[in-house]
Amino acid sequence: MNLILIGMNHKTAPVEIRERLSIACNEGFNPLDEIKAIPGVGEALYLSTCNRVEILARTQEGHPYAEERLKDLIFRHGNLGEEDMARCLYVYRDSAAIRHLFRVAASLDSLIMGEPQILGQVKEAYRLAVDHQAAGIILNKLLHRAFRVAKRIRTETGIASHAVSVSYAAVELAKKIFGTLKGKKVLLIGAGEMSELAARHLIKHGGDQIFVANRTHERAIQMAADFQGVPVDFDDIGESLREVDIVISSTGATGYILTYDMIAAVLKRRKNRLLFLIDIAVPRDIDPRAGDIDNVYLYNMDNLQDIADDNMQIRRGEAEKGELIVAAEADRYIEWFNTLAVVPTIVSLKEKAVGIINLELERSSGWLRNLRNEDREAVEIMANAIANKILHDPVTCLKEESQEGSALAYVAAIRRLFRLDGARDND
Amino acid sequence: MDIDMLLYRGALLAYLLSTLTYIFSLLIRRVSPARAATWILTVAFGLHTLFFLGQWLSKGYNPFLRVHDMLSFFAWVMAGVYLAFQLRTKTRVLGAFVSPVVFVLMIISSVGIGGPMTVPEVLKGGLVTIHAMLSVVGEALFAVASVAGLVYLIQDGLIKRKKSNKFMKLFPSLQDLDRINHFCLLWGVPLLTLGVLAGSIWARTVWGSHWQWDPKQIWTLAVWLIYAVLLHQRLAIGWKGHKMALLSVAAFVLLLATLLVEKSFFTTIHRFY
Repeated sequence: MNLILIGMNHKTAPVEIRERLSIACNEGFNPLDEIKAIPGVGEALYLSTCNRVEILARTQEGHPYAEERLKDLIFRHGNLGEEDMARCLYVYRDSAAIRHLFRVAASLDSLIMGEPQILGQVKEAYRLAVDHQAAGIILNKLLHRAFRVAKRIRTETGIASHAVSVSYAAVELAKKIFGTLKGKKVLLIGAGEMSELAARHLIKHGGDQIFVANRTHERAIQMAADFQGVPVDFDDIGESLREVDIVISSTGATGYILTYDMIAAVLKRRKNRLLFLIDIAVPRDIDPRAGDIDNVYLYNMDNLQDIADDNMQIRRGEAEKGELIVAAEADRYIEWFNTLAVVPTIVSLKEKAVGIINLELERSSGWLRNLRNEDREAVEIMANAIANKILHDPVTCLKEESQEGSALAYVAAIRRLFRLDGARDND
Repeated sequence: MDIDMLLYRGALLAYLLSTLTYIFSLLIRRVSPARAATWILTVAFGLHTLFFLGQWLSKGYNPFLRVHDMLSFFAWVMAGVYLAFQLRTKTRVLGAFVSPVVFVLMIISSVGIGGPMTVPEVLKGGLVTIHAMLSVVGEALFAVASVAGLVYLIQDGLIKRKKSNKFMKLFPSLQDLDRINHFCLLWGVPLLTLGVLAGSIWARTVWGSHWQWDPKQIWTLAVWLIYAVLLHQRLAIGWKGHKMALLSVAAFVLLLATLLVEKSFFTTIHRFY
């Protein structure tokens, strides 16, 4: 099959090494032309993200040094000694390369398993390969398969559901409490970086109005302005609790800012509307007993982290289902690839012709029966001769091209034109 | 088998299918089968609706006055109310709790289907129909409220446990469930009120007075009172969420229990067959 995949990812290479490679490639320079220039490289894909650098190439027979040269290219761009790089590089061939590509596209190989960006990055890499005319019949099919595998794994397994970051876990909880975050009011107590990040997340998912309370009121005014929200006097927190739906507290205070009694009292005044309290301060800002009050949901940093960790565990379980899909789809791709061999194609081409002749003779058997035996045979011989004459040139062409090692495209075209694979596999 | 029975059996089968699909969704803890189940439930509801229309038009008698027809109508209202909520909010998996109830009601109802077609003289009149229909709709709304309350209690417990849980992801949000409670009480109480009033007016014309201290009447009044109080607390005092869910479930359990007691130990004039 002559597919080779050389690369390094977050598991095999320390960040300093991956950095140098991607910097080199981000300087308005794309190595695709250089890769293509290597003798023996037929098709190529170059994928570079913060967490990985990979080259996928189809090499041609009779170029034993192509692989070394691909590695050289990576070494040169990394500005690194061979020893360093060799430790980090992995090389996959043929079916292993196919499986690796599928796993990458489906985010099974990502740092945060199931994260959605990688598929977009693979698509972009493929677009570049097409633009640089580096993608041919093999890579076209392979990449489209990879996109399909990614989609299947996304919909058929739970790998992409279940929040695995703290702030996303908080958003998911808020949605399970309120249904939607639209129109929900958020109070930030303490204008720190953490609360700002959490607030941005909530706003992104529909959170409406932001109130900010801070010990230093100027800072509250400043941050409220950033969010087009309302600054709240630190002493009026109890009052604004009546209005808001979600509270994110992250002050550096040593005692509780929100006590049990405060929350129990305010709940009556807000007519028992649900209240979601997120305490990301250490030491805690909110009395943990407040979580026992009806209609009050209190989560602290550890709770959220636990959920994120549990969800990661769930994703790992789902990933195993993903691996099965990858294996099955890789087999299907290899099956397709094997049909691209020249000899079986010629055989099925001839079989198809014989099939058509027999069918037509059968159909005409009514009047053929009236002929003498010799005449009938003559008709059959003629039919076969016509078919052979028509097929002669394509078959010769296939044989010639296969000698030059470039028959793939012709085989694929012939299989498609004569529908040798039936209706299936036309994607 | 005539076309009506065909519709009825079809609805019954579709209710069963949707129930099984919903349960499957719970078993594998994924929402996708529930999506299919909602469509099956919609089909069942459609067939059921056609069945009622057919009865109404062809039979020429009031289809809502026999016990099994009532049960079937009760099930139909529950399914309809649930589907209406499904359209508006993402309460999909709530169906996994509504659909089995609907199916069981249909099974009980199907035992009596095809029974006597004659309606006693005392039940002939528009007011009786109004009385029966309004009361059933009101009580069906309370049933939906209690199912939503049950799911609320489960979801509330899951969120308070602070653990990652696939059921938590699957079940509707607290606020959506609470909104169902609100809606069901808001419409259920007035409808039942009108139903009871219509009944008492009718009672005066056939039995001579509005009120007979009959066990069934007392039971109905008690139900009405409980839910009227709940609605009042909800609207005026602001009881919401957990407490309301708990009370809705408790009220319905109480309602069923007293119904059972009433049916087994007392005789009532409110029985016509």
